[in-house]
Amino acid sequence: MEAEGISTERQAKLAAPLARRLARAVGDLRLLSVLSVLAVLAIWYVVTAFALVPEVLLPGPGEVATSFVDLLLHGYRETTLWQNAAATLWRCGAGFVLACATGVPLGLAMGYSNGVRAACNYIVQFMRPLPPLSYLILLILWLGIGDTSKIMLLYLTAFPIVASSAMAGVWSTKLQRIQSARSLGASDWRIFLHVILPSALPMIFTGARIALATAFSTVVAAELMAATDGLGWMVFSASRFLRNDVIIIGIIILGVIGMALNKLVLLVDRSLVHWRGVE
Amino acid sequence: MALEGTPLRPRVTAAITGASLLVLLLAWIAATSLGLVDDLFLPGPGLLWAGFLDLLENGYRNRSIWEHAGWSLERVLAGFLTGSLVGTLLGLGMGVNRKIEAIFSPLVEFFRPLPQLAYLVLLIVWFGIGETAQIVLLFLTALPVSAIAAMDGVRNVSVQRIQAARSLGATEWQIFRYVVFPSALHEIFTGARLAIGVVYATLIAAEIISGSTGIGWMILDAGRFLRSDYVFVGILFIGIVGLGLDRLLLLVEHRVVHWSGKD
Repeated sequence: MEAEGISTERQAKLAAPLARRLARAVGDLRLLSVLSVLAVLAIWYVVTAFALVPEVLLPGPGEVATSFVDLLLHGYRETTLWQNAAATLWRCGAGFVLACATGVPLGLAMGYSNGVRAACNYIVQFMRPLPPLSYLILLILWLGIGDTSKIMLLYLTAFPIVASSAMAGVWSTKLQRIQSARSLGASDWRIFLHVILPSALPMIFTGARIALATAFSTVVAAELMAATDGLGWMVFSASRFLRNDVIIIGIIILGVIGMALNKLVLLVDRSLVHWRGVE
Repeated sequence: MALEGTPLRPRVTAAITGASLLVLLLAWIAATSLGLVDDLFLPGPGLLWAGFLDLLENGYRNRSIWEHAGWSLERVLAGFLTGSLVGTLLGLGMGVNRKIEAIFSPLVEFFRPLPQLAYLVLLIVWFGIGETAQIVLLFLTALPVSAIAAMDGVRNVSVQRIQAARSLGATEWQIFRYVVFPSALHEIFTGARLAIGVVYATLIAAEIISGSTGIGWMILDAGRFLRSDYVFVGILFIGIVGLGLDRLLLLVEHRVVHWSGKD
């Protein structure tokens, strides 16, 4: 016990400068993030290299990298990776754009006019918490198993989110601004275009970000239930053949695309709504 | 707030909502009774009601509808409670300490936009088809949402309050316990409501792999057999229970965080 205590103490003393140097480096937060990701990779490597879990359940990083190259070169079951990614993004994008094109105007109208709100809001509010997958099966019944039912599903997923946020955006307009514009003689239309719309835009973009993320989540689920291409289909099909390397590649690609979509909307938001947060 | 010149009276608003609802109902009745759409695709009100009574009386596939609902609720609660508890603790840590944030934020940021279904497949391989995989899926769904909400909550605590407490001689723990945590609680609850929404939406996906239990499974299974009346009843049921869960959390929030919005 005693000897051990001393030796660790001595070790600690020897290690002190190194530790301090490390600590200083660790102080750099970005480095800490990189280290954290590296640590996960290292644990993954160690767990697989020492065969702590069966390789069927968790293939090692090296194996996954090799399959990734193979997937890039030869594709998966007669579909290329690009084809699958494009199919997923097309469905997601089409549903999302349609939802924005119709949901934003409706939301603005609901925020602006009590009549429109009374007529439409209860539908939007009922649809919003409804899990999209629950009505996917109906959409497949109605529209068939092709792309139409999936795009419709994503449309219905994104629509209530976008519409609600546009409505809330209109409400966030400061009354003083509208009054001062009116007292300066602005017409209703000009007030809407130059006061209400700019005030609502930050919230519309926040809603669009949430809607896109939800739509992206949903598209994978839809592909898993009924599709013959797309990243969700690839992952699900791989699970049937116990191709866990393909599953992990699929998960990583989906995660990266998800982060990229989020960043993209943020970027458009920053450049378009430069007045966000500036009061 | 009404941006129009004169706000509508509540009675007028209700009348418009009622009229809109009536138009929808009439369109539904007309479409189904005139045979414009097949009963298979869109059951009429009569058929739907019959299907509802049938479900209440006989259940679905040897289990009463309440049993299915019980299974679903159990999964939602198990995943939500564990996920949001761990997520909130992690988020509080990330909010208080920049280093903890730096360590965990890449993982949380990666997990949050990741479609849940993608890792469901991996969970099935690891845990087999059954309760564990489903609950782990819901746990992983709730975790990043709660973590980010709790972190934002801590970040948004006003600096003056912390400085005031510190100048009065409060220890770091006291500041956390009496200033930071109560201030962040409102956002933690908002995060919890978001999380339960996402968990609830993911439940249907999780129940793809449940053997023969749960409302989500019932909807999927009924769809396979073209029983669209059961599908509709299931959707309505899920919608109403989801709304109820959200209201319940809101109620708890008002009880617990009675100081919210009084800044």
